[in-house]
Amino acid sequence: MGWVTRRQLTDLLGALSLVLALAGLAFGLPALDRALPADRPVPADRPYAVGGGVTVVPPPGSRIDVTETRPTDEEGTALFRLGPVRYLITVRRFDGDLPTAAERLRQRITGTTGYQVTGTELTVATVSGLAGLQGGYTAPGRGGRYAVFVADGRTIEVTVSGADLDLGRTLPAIDASTRTLRYNPAAAK
Amino acid sequence: MTAESRLRSDRTAPVQPGADPGTGLIRLPAFWIVFAVVLAGGVRMAMIAGRFAGAYPMATLTATGLFALLAVPFWFTVSELDFLEREPPALLALAFAWGGLVATTVSIPGSAALDDLVAKLGSPHLAADWGAALAAPTVEEIAKTLGVVAIVLVARAQVNSVLDGVVYGAMVGLGFQIIEDIVYALGAVALAGRGDHIEPVVTTFLLRGFLSGVWSHTLFGALAGAGIGYLVVRADRTWRTRIGVAMLAVLGAWASHVLWNSPLFRDGLGNGALALLAVLVFKGLPPLVLTMLLVRAAHDREADYYAGQLAKLDDPELITPAELAALKSGSRRATARWHARTSAGLRARAAVRRLQRAQARLAVELSRGTTDLGRWCHEVRRQRRILAALGHPEAVAPEGKGPWRRTASTVFTTALAIAVLWAAISTLGGG
Repeated sequence: MGWVTRRQLTDLLGALSLVLALAGLAFGLPALDRALPADRPVPADRPYAVGGGVTVVPPPGSRIDVTETRPTDEEGTALFRLGPVRYLITVRRFDGDLPTAAERLRQRITGTTGYQVTGTELTVATVSGLAGLQGGYTAPGRGGRYAVFVADGRTIEVTVSGADLDLGRTLPAIDASTRTLRYNPAAAK
Repeated sequence: MTAESRLRSDRTAPVQPGADPGTGLIRLPAFWIVFAVVLAGGVRMAMIAGRFAGAYPMATLTATGLFALLAVPFWFTVSELDFLEREPPALLALAFAWGGLVATTVSIPGSAALDDLVAKLGSPHLAADWGAALAAPTVEEIAKTLGVVAIVLVARAQVNSVLDGVVYGAMVGLGFQIIEDIVYALGAVALAGRGDHIEPVVTTFLLRGFLSGVWSHTLFGALAGAGIGYLVVRADRTWRTRIGVAMLAVLGAWASHVLWNSPLFRDGLGNGALALLAVLVFKGLPPLVLTMLLVRAAHDREADYYAGQLAKLDDPELITPAELAALKSGSRRATARWHARTSAGLRARAAVRRLQRAQARLAVELSRGTTDLGRWCHEVRRQRRILAALGHPEAVAPEGKGPWRRTASTVFTTALAIAVLWAAISTLGGG
């Protein structure tokens, strides 16, 4: 009919290829990522290096989520999963005291819509002697626990989240694991 | 054409003049598809910006203002690269929007997914050390290169030299760099956990704007854009060669980005400002030098082509042989303007600039085979009369390396840039 020129057709095919390539990056890669399992078994009888010279003995039966675990010499994160419960430990450089570290962690928690800190903070300590503060928070359909420690220019933040029933079942094991947090200055940069 | 110019011309791809796109663009399907993609990217980034603005309004305003200001000198530098055949502002804006809205929107989920895949297929340690170096360059360089491809699809006639590819690629990279920096700055505010404070924004501005700004996405985009430019204009070569060169250029951009993000020499040169500066130079200088050489070669080729067009006129009222020699080189154009200023004042300097622009525009119209050149010739003659009235009839660059004051100014500007860089490093705790 001559309504569509050859140039317009080539141009259309080129543009559609462009959209396809973009879709591959924006949706294809995430789909491929979701198709592969993220968790791995982790031994619960020896310390796991979180990063920044911090180690923890994982709770029995937990699995490590490799997508949110990034250990380096200076800082690090480790995410353990006990069924639907998330047990996240984050080590960051920090220039301040324990109350300031706790205040900043609370601000980040309450910065998410619907999240509220509950109750009062308690002092906690690890077996290795790290002193920290611990509190709780709630969110729609979820509950959580946080704890924060400060050691040698670093904060060690622990956040635990999950449905109330699951938390009740797993918190004793997680608390026991948190008490095994240890900071080794020789392993940190 | 002289032996020297023949040699210069042999170095890069030829120039293929194209007509002004006009309103013909809207009849192309690619125009509407690219428009829709940019719109979708804009909506997505607006949603992200809206969330940040709701939680941290002052920090969002500060980050947007600071990085928008940073974009201004980059924009002018990039758009001035192709002085002779300037790109339409609308297409430059489209390239910038692609980088800032589309490439960023695609890269956020894509890079995160690839980083996760590195951890899943390798290990969390590998992802922690090399995830940023492997995932981000792979996704981002592809997404940005597609921006130059989009420009080609929308306005093929406007990509008529390797230098055009460099300009559009750099502009896509600039858009990406600015929006990514704003997102990083606001991410730092959220991570700091101190509410709506601007200190993390200022730190990010110093770190990513000054320290990383010179050798960041603008540079990588320019490299990849050169490859797409070659692919488009080098019609005299086989498809295999053209595609090979384009892939090599994108690979070069990717490799530069990988080197920049890599953990190599993270602590290898010790602590302190000097060590940090050495690492920045080691990682950033190779692609910067490579891109500058590429731009120089592409510019020379284009300059030879357009100078050849103007030489055919053989009309000293339009352009004299000395003006032609000055017009071919960016530094000699600048020297001619400097010379006008020192000998006849600021108005003469501005008039020389306008004359050079008018002569360049005339050359472009000549190359397009425009039959009625009256309008363009009239503009050149008008600027010539203004110059003559100011007592400086010819826009020439004096023989030699240029006035000492211009050289001193360049040295002073470089020293000032290093001082600012040094202050930024020291502020960040490097010294």
